[in-house]
Parts: sequence; structure tokens; C-alpha cells
Amino acid sequence: MESIGHELGIWLAVAWLLPLLGFFIEIFGGYWGTRLSKTAAHMAVVCIATGFVCSSIAFVRWGAVTDWAALELHAPVSATHFYEEPNAAKHSGHGSSEAATAIKKSFSGQYYQLALFGDLEIAIDYYIDSLTLVMFMMVTLVATCIHIFALGYMSDELTDDHIDHEVHLANGSHMHRPGRYYRFFSYMSLFCFSMLGLVLAGNIFMVFVFWELVGICSYLLIGFYTERHSASTAANKAFIVNRVGDFGFIIGLMIIWTWCGTFQFYEYDSVSQSRPGLFQMVRTADGQLDREGDVVYLQDGQGHRLVNAHNQQPIGIEYMLLVAAGIGIFAGCVGKSAQFPLQTWLPDAMEGPTPVSALVHSATMVAAGVYLAGRFFPIFTPEVLLTIAYVGCITLFVAATIAIVATDIKRVLAYSTISQLGYMMLAIGVAGWVAGLFHLITHAFFKSLMFLCSGSVIIGCHHEQEMTRMGGLWRKMPVTAFTMLVGVIAISGLAIPGVIAFSGYHSKDAIMATSLAFFGLNSSHFLLYFVPLITAGITAFYMFRLWFYTFLGEPRDQELHEHVHEQSWVMTGPLVVLAVFAAFCAVGGEHGYLFRLLADSEPAGIAAGTIGVSGIALPTHKQVGAVHMTAGAYALVVACLGTLMAYAFYGIKILNPEDVKRQFAGVYRFLVQKWQFDKLYDVMFVKPAHIIAGWCVAIDRGIIDAFLHRTVKTGVDVSNWDRRFDEVVIDGLVNSIGNVTFAFGRSLRVLQTGLLRQYVMFIAIGVVGLFLLLFVFFPK
Amino acid sequence: MGEIGLKPYLLVGAVLFVTGIVCMASKRNGIGVLMGVELVLNGANVNFVAFSRYTALGLDGQIISLFVIVLAAAEAAVALAIALNFYNNHLTIDVDRGNELRG
Amino acid sequence: MNDTVLLTAIIFAPTLGAFGLWVFDKKSVEEMKTFAFGVTALTFVLTLFLWNAYDPTDGGIQPVLEDGQRGIAYPWISNWNINYRLGYDGISVPLILLTSLISMLAMLASWNIDKMVRGYLSLFLLLETGMLGVFLALDFFLFYVFWEVMLLPMYFLIGVWGGPRKEYAAMKFFLYTLFGSVLILIAILMFYFGSSKLPEGSTFNMMTLMAIGQGKVDGISWNEYIPNMQIIAFILLFIGFAIKIPTFPFHTWLPDAHVEAPTPISMILAGVLLKMGGYGIIRIAFPICPEGALQAAYTLVAIGAISIIYGAFAAMAQTDFKRLVAYSSVSHMGYVLIGIAVWKIHDVAGTNYWQMGMNGAMFQMLAHGISSAGMFFMVGVLYDRVHHRDLNQFGGLSRLMPLYTGLSIGIFFAALGLPGLCGFIGEVFVVLSAWNFHPVLAIIAAAGVILTAGYILWTIQRVFLGPEYKGPHAESLSPITTREAAIAVVLVFFAVLLGVYPNVMFYLMDESIENLVDSLESAVSSAGLGVLEN
Repeated sequence: MESIGHELGIWLAVAWLLPLLGFFIEIFGGYWGTRLSKTAAHMAVVCIATGFVCSSIAFVRWGAVTDWAALELHAPVSATHFYEEPNAAKHSGHGSSEAATAIKKSFSGQYYQLALFGDLEIAIDYYIDSLTLVMFMMVTLVATCIHIFALGYMSDELTDDHIDHEVHLANGSHMHRPGRYYRFFSYMSLFCFSMLGLVLAGNIFMVFVFWELVGICSYLLIGFYTERHSASTAANKAFIVNRVGDFGFIIGLMIIWTWCGTFQFYEYDSVSQSRPGLFQMVRTADGQLDREGDVVYLQDGQGHRLVNAHNQQPIGIEYMLLVAAGIGIFAGCVGKSAQFPLQTWLPDAMEGPTPVSALVHSATMVAAGVYLAGRFFPIFTPEVLLTIAYVGCITLFVAATIAIVATDIKRVLAYSTISQLGYMMLAIGVAGWVAGLFHLITHAFFKSLMFLCSGSVIIGCHHEQEMTRMGGLWRKMPVTAFTMLVGVIAISGLAIPGVIAFSGYHSKDAIMATSLAFFGLNSSHFLLYFVPLITAGITAFYMFRLWFYTFLGEPRDQELHEHVHEQSWVMTGPLVVLAVFAAFCAVGGEHGYLFRLLADSEPAGIAAGTIGVSGIALPTHKQVGAVHMTAGAYALVVACLGTLMAYAFYGIKILNPEDVKRQFAGVYRFLVQKWQFDKLYDVMFVKPAHIIAGWCVAIDRGIIDAFLHRTVKTGVDVSNWDRRFDEVVIDGLVNSIGNVTFAFGRSLRVLQTGLLRQYVMFIAIGVVGLFLLLFVFFPK
Repeated sequence: MGEIGLKPYLLVGAVLFVTGIVCMASKRNGIGVLMGVELVLNGANVNFVAFSRYTALGLDGQIISLFVIVLAAAEAAVALAIALNFYNNHLTIDVDRGNELRG
Repeated sequence: MNDTVLLTAIIFAPTLGAFGLWVFDKKSVEEMKTFAFGVTALTFVLTLFLWNAYDPTDGGIQPVLEDGQRGIAYPWISNWNINYRLGYDGISVPLILLTSLISMLAMLASWNIDKMVRGYLSLFLLLETGMLGVFLALDFFLFYVFWEVMLLPMYFLIGVWGGPRKEYAAMKFFLYTLFGSVLILIAILMFYFGSSKLPEGSTFNMMTLMAIGQGKVDGISWNEYIPNMQIIAFILLFIGFAIKIPTFPFHTWLPDAHVEAPTPISMILAGVLLKMGGYGIIRIAFPICPEGALQAAYTLVAIGAISIIYGAFAAMAQTDFKRLVAYSSVSHMGYVLIGIAVWKIHDVAGTNYWQMGMNGAMFQMLAHGISSAGMFFMVGVLYDRVHHRDLNQFGGLSRLMPLYTGLSIGIFFAALGLPGLCGFIGEVFVVLSAWNFHPVLAIIAAAGVILTAGYILWTIQRVFLGPEYKGPHAESLSPITTREAAIAVVLVFFAVLLGVYPNVMFYLMDESIENLVDSLESAVSSAGLGVLEN
């Protein structure tokens, strides 16, 4: 078994490291190739495609040791059957539970140790279970399609003299610069490496490392058109807002590191079996928290409490700290997945080239937040889950409302991405673990599809992104229009139950079912069901609005329309591939392969609903299954309503959106201003930061330096006084003594007449005088 | 005729001395001053000899006066040389004209 | 090679080189520069020998002589028991390597100096002697001599070859540092006279003083010599070293000194001189006054956290490129102080966190040595071309100087703490170890990551991105030369190497730091302070 884990680790490591190798070669494309060379791009495609092959091989190898029959067991024929198997042991494929299956399905191991301090180890680990494999295959497949699409999309960079029409120089002309085809692909390779590393990571520290790396790739790709001020500003905003989330992430890391002393998810390595992984510490084998009062006792992964080696006392962590750690890690997810309140960066990130939006800002990187929330699920306490659910709920509603009024085709898609990510977060928050990640996968396919379609439209319209200038494009671009329709139907969740259903229908159904079950158990949290339900209608409305606006009706800009043309197979091919996956990847719904695969990785305890404490009941699989049909039906009805509304407004135009706009001018303005978040943050954070920065400089200048200058000046003053004292007092004293002596001598000068005869007289008189004195004073 | 006694000698010495002093103080002629000096010295010599005869001084007084005579001769030689030089510089030997040492 | 010869050669090779320069004709500038560069390169090679000679599994002071004595010692002024005592361990070896590397690169960056070249090169080499001597000296008196030897060349290098306000900057630097030196000298004398009860009389031997401070010498204790001397001496030493680090509020000499100093001197200043402060605290202040250090630990961490935030905010408000980089140094060195001081007697695991923090602090010093020297160099390259540093008057360099931009962004990202580059490891290790010490301070320190990202990305945007260059002398923006590129490539290489393979330094430091942490821990708990803390 160990050897299989090792083998999987190698296959995935190859898939993971190939793009890095590609990056190092491609980034120097300007040195070994010309601006007209496509070699670097092809290299990037080969790297990521090989990555897909490697992950497929790994998947097959994993399948070879997996007991598919056991998988079948808890995903049998009928739609509700999956939910009727609440046996936790069946789902906990993790280590300690020998009951799960005889065959181990998840593996962990170490590639390389970064540092070791006493018992504290930081390393590059891998953790492989079905979720890892599915994510690997999804990321590599979507990335391959997008890379191929980008071969065509970015081809206007294949020149020595690229003209950027959006940049106006000081002299009024447009910007001319060499093309940067190879650089785009090198960044894409770096991104693929980072994203795959994030998925492969076996410990939370390594997740953080790649978390930052995908952030910087996102920064580089958003700011790809470095000359555009809007692009570089958007890139900065994306990175800094993400850093705000990462700040929370670091706090979570600190708490975990301090109290658990390890970053590893699960520890299966037989060598260091004595040290359990993080999740094995926090949760018992059946997914319970070992909580007494305010303390959660850590487990040793063998069914006992972890004890301090020195005093044999059980090791515990305060419950509130565990909550704080969960919130902290989730804050990182909020930043990366553009959830409320950090959602503002994602729409701006659309400044990047469209393939970037498709890969980074819809399918993979932004979904990483959801992935981590899912991966880290065992750490989250019910309070944290509730927070996650509400954050998701707020986000999905806010973003959907803004999407209604957006007119830039990419921005509509961006808001829809935020909204869909909100759905995923909501699902995880209400313990619909599989539903959330299921939606993550399906969303990745249909959203990347739609972004690529929009890219195709944008190229076709010569870089026009405003839907208000499009219309009637389906005749000119049939493949794009058709594949886009597939995506729109998928995201709206339309289906004819029992006959045909696209992937989005299944995944959204699963989410709605979980939240309905949750609402049934916790009626005070009714918003968590009704808001997503309404938003399902809004989603259908704005997505069909987009499609009708763009592809149906009469051309709004005749001149633009005349130049529109369908793209070559390099760009339409990936659309078709992704459309197939968007339509059919989730076929079978809850008893389809994708769902069952994901369900295999589900943390212990969810199925039985046993992880809920603290007054919040989490639904069991059985309860979810019971309401599944109902929830699906409601959601479908609402989605149909939304579609009909869109048709009425933009299809047959029996209603005029302008009227509505006038009627609700205030609301409209509020939505167009994106709920004023940007302004609010500018006032709340950006401006104060600059003001405080000014203060710091002022303190340096005005207080510390002023103090120093004053001190030095005082020193100089003191020396001046000292000098004056010297000059006036001491020198004066010495001088005056001299002066007196001199004056005395001068006064004696008159005696010195130079006359010999006088001198004789003086001598004579002096002698007589001396004698007289002698006689007077010493008479004897 | 008996002993003359000390007193008359001292008297003569004193007269010689005072005469010498007065001569020195009043004569403007350089040679006159020198003569005054000789008188003073010889006044002193009289005293020495007298004391040597009448007191316990013994021969010492006489020897000293011999010294004085020799010194006076030497001094006179030097002084005359000075006087000659003085005359060369000032074309006179009026000592009042030689007041270069005035302070 | 004989240890004595090797150590002496490392220290005095630059001095000999400085004398050797006077053989050259005054006009043969190019030859003198080549010669001086050769001397620094030779010194670097010698330090590589030192690296080879050091045995990281031992962890104590080396070389170990045949009689078991650690470090070499020869009498110097025997009346006062002053010795020429040298040695190295895992704390000093990485810093010595950093010093000789940065000196070599800074010498290579000095090619543009054309004023009084011989004087410049001589002072530069003397400075290198001083720096290496500080890291190798084990006699306190010798240490102090080298410490002062660094000061004067620096004063002249800033004051003569500096920018417009060089006199002001040089004076400020000199006064600040001299003030710190005086405090250190007072502490040295306190130790010297406090150790008079030793059989051999008063001593300057650091290892003996450490043993006394840690209560391992019977009958002598600082606190008996002067009440509370552990604390008093620690404060004196700390202020002396904190000025060098520099931490808030002793930092204002740094921006001025950096802005006025010529580029290579800025590199040395940021890359090596600031490390003296951290080294002094680890090597001297903590081991000699462990009780004082424990008492002051909270203050130290708080000062570190304030420095991080304060430096980052101040950097954000700058419009002068060099000032911005200077303030970023204040911010980054705050992590060093935190890492050193997260000493909490908590339980056995607590020691591991302190050890991690200490390792992180050491690593942060190395990383900062690479990244800040790189940043100053990059600013210097730009300044040589356009002769201004106003951040608002740049832009569009990515197109005009593509290689330069790529390398600069690499170095700036290293400073930003991007994983895979050197800044990340030190920063994150320190922050992770800090929660165990004090959660609030840890959170404050962690908040630095947002501000750092803010000012660095904003700087990159203003300088490198954008459509066109907005300042004067646009015509002189020529691509980076081979010599400049070589320096930058070496720095980027080390930034990446330390980022992805931190063990290359950790394996050197780890054992020594563990020894240090353990001995301090046991010293304090045997003195009964540990119980109090608990």
C-alpha cells in the first residue's frame, strides 16, 4: 500500500512540477526565441497536457487499489440511496478507522523537509485522496483547454510591434510595444504549478505557500497589460485584498502551530505514526470533537487522548481558540474566493486577458478558497460553519444583484462567479460537504466554458466587451453561441428532470437540498435557504439576460456586427470539449461517478450529522435525502421563473428594462456602484492607511528627529555657554592679574630715569634709609 | 703722643666717603664721577685699614683694602674705556646726556 | 589550513589589500578597482574555507584546540588580560559568509565611483576588516575595537562620497552609533570589573562572561557585584545594539544615512551593518545577561512589532525610492527582534518555539541581507542613469529595461515575503513562533504582511509599470550592463536558493541555536526565574 501511495505521489509530482520546468524555460523565451515564435506556448500546452495525462494515470492507479464495490455500496442506484447510508465508518477513509474498507484510499507522505525544530517539523508533503485526484484532473483538463484557447486568443501578441489601443501616451498616440506571447504562457505555467501544488499539499503550511504563489501569479496575469494603469491597479488590489485574507490565514496558522504543533492534515507514514495529523488530533475517528467545557482534547489518532510526554496530562486546546483558528483560515478562503466582505477585487481582476479570467478567476484559483474550506472542514466548529454559511449567503445574493445591472460581458461572468462561489461556501457551511465540492467541479467546467465563449465574442468583436453594443451574434458565431447556451443552462440549473439535466442542475440541487434540510432543523436560520432559492432565480435571469443580449435580437452596432466572425478551431475546439464536460460531467447526479468519488473523501461524521453541537443541528445524509426532491423542484421552478423573466425582458421584449431602471433609479444606481463597497473601503482602509503613514513620517520628522536636533542644538548651546564662561570668567581673571602686574610695572617705570647721578643718589639715600630703618626697628 | 684711636680714622673715612658720594652725585663730567668713585673706595679702604689695626679683624682688613685698590685700578681702566666710548658716541662726557637706559 | 592563520587571514586580508593599494599609481584607477575586487573575492573564498572547516554537528564555538579549549587565543595586552581571541559557530558563520559575499558584490558595484578612488577603496577594505572582526572576535575588548573600526570608515564613506546632505547624514550616523558604542563600553567595563573574583583576574573573554552570566561559575554573579546588574547591563547592551538594528525609536539615522550614502555603501549598510545589532543581541546580550533578557523579552517583542508596523507605514508615505527601501529595512528587522525574544518559559514545547523564532530571526537577517542589498543596488542602478529618486517620476521601465525590471521584481518579491524566495521563510517562522509568546503581539506582527504588500506593490506599479517614463533624462535609460546584471543575478540566485532550500543555512545554525536556547533556559530555570514566569 505504501508503494502505491509513493507511486501516486510521483505521478502527481510530475504533473505538478512539469509546468514549473516549463516556466523556467518559457520565461526566457525572449532570449532563445523571437517574438514571433510559438514554441514557448506549445511548451506550456505540452506541460499541462502531460500533467493531465499523469494525473489520469495516477487516477487509474488509484482506481486499481480502490475497492469500487465499497464505493458502490454507499452510492447505489436510486437517487436517495446514497443518503440512506449514514454509517460514518463507511465514509471515513481516513487512517485510523479500520472499518472503512480494507483498502486504504488516501495517502500521505513527504517530499522534502524544510526545517525541524525539536518536535516541530515543516515540510513539503503530499496528501492524496479522491478529492485531490478529482481536483488534479479538473485543473489540468480545464487548464489544457484554456491553454489551447489562449494559443489563438493571445495571437495578436505575436508581433514585434503590438499596438495597445487602451493606452494613451502623453503625446496622444497609442502605445507601441513588442508582443509578449511567450511571457503570457510562462505566467500560465507558473500558475498551473502553483495551483497543482496547492491541491497536492499535505499540510496547511504548504497550502499557504502555494496560496501565496497563486496569488502572485494572479497578480502577474491581471497586470499582464502592465502599461494600462487600470490593469496594474487591479492587480495590486487583488493581491493586497488577498493579503488581508491571508492575514487571517496566518493567525489561523499560528494558533494551529502553537496548540497542535503540526501542520499535517493526516499522518499515515508508518515511520512517524506516533505523531498524528491535525485532523486526527482535533476529531475522533467518527468525527466528534472531544470537548469538555471550554477545552477540546486532542486525539492521538489511535482512539486515545494525546498526552504530554513530560507530565502525562492530556493536551487540550481552548474551544474559542479552535473557533478563532477556523475563522482565521476561513478568512484566507474569503480573500481568495472573493467572498463578502473581500469580494471587490474579483470584478477588477477582469482587466487580465480573458483566458486568465477563465482559468484563474473562475475555474481554479478562486475555487481554491472553497477547496481549502472543504479540506479543512474537520477543524471547523459549528460556529465557524455558521459563519461560513452566512458569508456565502450574503455573497451569493450581493454578487447576483450586481450582475443584473452589469453590462460588461466579463463583469457579469465575474459577479456570477462570486455568486456561485457563495453557493459553494454556503453548502460547506451547512455541512453539505460533497454538494459544495461537487458544485466546485461542475462550476469550473461551465464557468471556464462561458469565459472562453465570452473571450471568443470579445475577439470576434475586436475587443469590445460592452454587451450594449452586441446583439444578434448567433448567426455569425454559431459554435460560440451554442456552447455558451450550454453553459448558461448549466449554471441556471435548468433541466427536464428524468430526461436530461446538465451538471449545474445536479450540483445546485444538492446544495439546495442540504440548505433546505438545514433550514428544517434550524428554523431560525431560514435566510440560509430562502436567499439562495431566490438567487437561483436571479442567476437564471442574469445569465439568460447575458445570452439574449449578446446573441439574440438585432445587432445594436451595425458596424461592429459586420466585422464579427467565428474563430478558428484552436479556439472553438476547447469550447466544445468544455461544453461536453459542462453538460455531462455530473451525469447521474448523486449516484453518478463524480459525486461518488467526492463522497469518498468526505470527512467522517458528516453523514451522520454528528458533528453538530452548540445548538446548531447539522443535517444528516438521510435528512438531506428526504428533502432532495422537494428542494430540487422548488429550485427548478424558481430558475424557470428567472429564465422567463429574462426572456420577457430581453428575448421577446414585452417588458422594457429601461422602465424598470427609471422606476427604481436609486436601487439601480446603488447596484451599478457595486453596493458602494469600493468607496467604503477606500474611506475605511485605504485613506486611513495613507494618513497613518503620513503620521509615521511626521513622528519621525517632528518628534524623533526634532528631539535629536533639539538635543544636538542643546549640546551646541551648552558648548557655547562653556566657551563664554572660559572667555569671560577664567580668561578674564588671568588677564586681569596680568594687567595689574603690568600696570604696576609701568608705574615703576618713572623711577628708571637713566640718569647716573640720580641712581647714585638713590643708592646713597637708600643705604641711609636702610640704616635708619635698622636703627628704628632693631635698635640693638 | 699717644694712640690716635679709631674714631679719627673713621671720621676721615666718612669724610672721604661723603665727599666721594657728593662728587658722584653732583659732577656731570664722567671723569669727575670716576674720581668720586675713587674717593668712595678709598674712604672704605681707610675704614678697613683702621678696623684691621684696632679690632680683631687682623690682617684681613689690609688684604681686602689691597684687593680694593687692585679692583679700583681695574675698574678705572674699564670705566675709562667706557668713557672713551661714551665720548665717541655722544661727543661729550656729560653723563646726563647718556640716558638711553631710561625706562 | 591552520585555524589561526585562516581566521587571521580572513580578518586582515582586506587590511593588507588596503595597504597594497598604495603601491599603485594614483592614475591607474581601473587597476586599483580590479585589485580591490580581487581582495574581496579572496576574502570570500577564505570564508568558504571557514564554512568547510565548521562542523555543524558540534554547535559550540570552534575551532576546538587539542587541549579542549574552544577558540584560538594569544595574549595581546596581558596586563589587563586582553587577548586576541577568535572563534566561530553556527551563529557567526552564516553572517560571515553574508558579509564577505555582500562586500564582494558591493565592491563590484563600486565601479562608478570616480572621486578619490584610492581613499574610497582603502576605507572600504578597512570597513570589511571591521565587520569580519566583529563576527569573529570572542574577546570583548577586541570586539569593541573592531566595532569602532567599522564606524570610522563608514563615517568617511558617507561623509565624503555621499549625496547632497552627506555631512548631516554622516554626523547623524556617527553620533547615533557612538552613543550606542558608549553604552556597550559601559557594559563591557561592568562585566570586566564584575569578573574580578575569577582565579585569573578580570577578563574580557566572552565565553567566561557567558558562563558567569548563566550562573555556571561558582561564587560570581552579576547581581552580587551590582544589584540588578543583569537588567542594567542588558538594557545598556540592548540600546547599543538596537541602534544598529535599528528599531523604533532609534531608527531615524537609517533613512538619512541610506539616502546620502553611495550605492555600494548602502548595500553594505543594509546588508551587513544592520545585522551587527541582531548578532550582538544573540551573541552577547542574551547569553551574558539571561535573566535581564528574560525580564525584557516582552518589551523586545513589543518593540519588534511596533517597528514592523511603523516601518511599513513610514515606507508607504515616502516618495524617495531609497528612503522607502530604508524604512522597509526598519520593518523587516523588526521580525528579527521578535524572533530573538520570543522567550517564554512555558513548557518543554515552548523551547521549541523559541528555537524556531531564533532560527527564523537568524534566517531573516540573512534574507534581509540579500534582499535589501539587492533593493539598494537596484535603486542605485536607476539613480546612476537618471539622477533622481522620486517615485512619482518613474514608470514604464519594464519596457525600457526589461532585464533590470525582471531582476528587480524578483528582489522586491523576496522582500515582500513571497514563498519560494528568501524573505518568506524568516518572516513566517518568526510570526508562527510568536503566538506562543503573546497572541496580540503576534497578530500585530502578522498584520505587517498586508502593509508590506501594499507599499512594495505600489512601488512596483509606480516605477516599473505604466506606459511611459515620466521623469527627466529619459534618454539615459539604457539597459542594464553586464556587470550590474551579474550582481543582481547573484543576489536573485541566493534569494531563490534560500527560499526553496533554507536548509543550506538552517543546518549550519540549528545546532548552535539549540545549544544557546537550552543553556539559557537551564540557566534561568536554575536561577528560579522560570518558576516565577510560570
